Amino acid sequence: MSMLKPLPRKRNLTWLWPLAGGLSLLLLWSGIIVLGEVRPFIAPAPWDVAAEIWKNRVLLAQNFWPTLLEAVAGFICGNLAAISVAVIFVHFHTVQKMYLPIAVLFNTIPVIALAPILILIFGINITPKIIIASLVCFFPTLVNMIRGLEAYTSSEMELMRVMSASRLEIFLRLRLPRSLPFLFSALRISCTSCVIGAIVGEWIGSTMGIGSLIIQATFNYRSGLLYAAICMSSALALSLFAIVIASEKKFLRW
Amino acid sequence: MPARSSRPPNAIALRDAAVTFATDAGLFTACQNINLDIETGSFVVLIGPSGCGKSTLLRLVADLLPCAAGTAEVNGAPPEAARKARAVSFVFQDSTLLPWRSVMDNISLPLQVGRWAALGRGHRPVKELLELVRMSGREAAMPHELSGGMRQRVAIARALVTQPDILLMDEPFAALDEITRESLNEEVLRIWRETGTTVVFVTHSLEEAAYLGQRVVVMAANPGRIADIIDLRQAKPDNRIDRSSQAFFEITTGLRRVLEKAYRGEIAA
Repeated sequence: MSMLKPLPRKRNLTWLWPLAGGLSLLLLWSGIIVLGEVRPFIAPAPWDVAAEIWKNRVLLAQNFWPTLLEAVAGFICGNLAAISVAVIFVHFHTVQKMYLPIAVLFNTIPVIALAPILILIFGINITPKIIIASLVCFFPTLVNMIRGLEAYTSSEMELMRVMSASRLEIFLRLRLPRSLPFLFSALRISCTSCVIGAIVGEWIGSTMGIGSLIIQATFNYRSGLLYAAICMSSALALSLFAIVIASEKKFLRW
Repeated sequence: MPARSSRPPNAIALRDAAVTFATDAGLFTACQNINLDIETGSFVVLIGPSGCGKSTLLRLVADLLPCAAGTAEVNGAPPEAARKARAVSFVFQDSTLLPWRSVMDNISLPLQVGRWAALGRGHRPVKELLELVRMSGREAAMPHELSGGMRQRVAIARALVTQPDILLMDEPFAALDEITRESLNEEVLRIWRETGTTVVFVTHSLEEAAYLGQRVVVMAANPGRIADIIDLRQAKPDNRIDRSSQAFFEITTGLRRVLEKAYRGEIAA
């Protein structure tokens, strides 16, 4: 028999590495605050932030839900719109040639500049925030989805044509499944950026949400609350990211 | 497969056929002056150097490319009618199995598209096909779990599920190792005998051509054309031959001479 020992089965503890990295940075942060004698309203220590989260848990929760709603609604609307436009673009190349450059041009406008325009049009309510979150999601998904729907091989398309498959059959049985890996890589980007979109919308005009909390905390020099709000927005983006990863594992098993 | 009574004597008939492509440099002739009759139920091999238009010819028959000049008839009708009647199946060099579908679902794909149900024809049961290509018990496997040779077996099963009159094979074993290829060659002959399907097989391999074909069509390039048609039915009774026999050596040697001429372009257009 072979002299080689069987490799020990690797236990799945890869998540320990980023945890260790995070802890080391927290340690660095604490060290700077303590040794540098930084005053709390300039930058709070990690334990101050933790205490602040606990103290303001009701306020944070009240402002968490509106942002979640805006971000998720924007994520769904923006991605559905991008997928639909991509489907039209790949089937009608003239339409793509006419409007894709315009989509690229539109994408160069900073979201921060678009937000006041939308609030002027729709007023201070949830609609402009959802639109901003959608717009942030739209472009990455559009570009990836166009690529994905064209990601079949020439022999796959020839196979469908020899079988006299209709456009709809080619779309459902070849192009759509082929595009899924591209769609999911776009969703990974947009599930975190839709939260940023919602928060930017809240900055410009809102009385509720993590975004408005950030603005209020900044103006009132409540840096503990500011950091707590930032933690909330990260937690929101991370949970959306986890959902996308989980559904990717479920749908992309090949 | 029961021979359909309506099958014409020639499965494929090409008369002065040509295929051209529009390129940036102008019109490119992939092949021209193609005159070829392929009898129903026969096994014909196309061989020749790159650019001789052998794959193009297959795509003309499959109605993937239009006939630019002359006429092309498949089952006594234009290629388009044969394609719509689902009389033609194609096997590619890469197995072209859809990676998100199991073996079973890949083989059933032809039955789910192209108005198959409306044609009202019977299909071959998937279980029977898996037996035919010696892949029984693997219906739940995903393509990435299979070797290259196994994937081609599944691709052949998929091509046969509609019980086609004509099976077009475009270098199906070119990416496989020698031993796998030889065993699949035997399988293809066995399947051909069992189904009675007309097979047109494109290859780069001289041995494969000599082993498989009742007739071998040697093609030359620039422009793509038929250089010679070699009939092996006398030399290979019942289209069977032992690869290690003297007779097989003589067939390959004869074929090599014609092919070398075609490569050197010594055969006039």
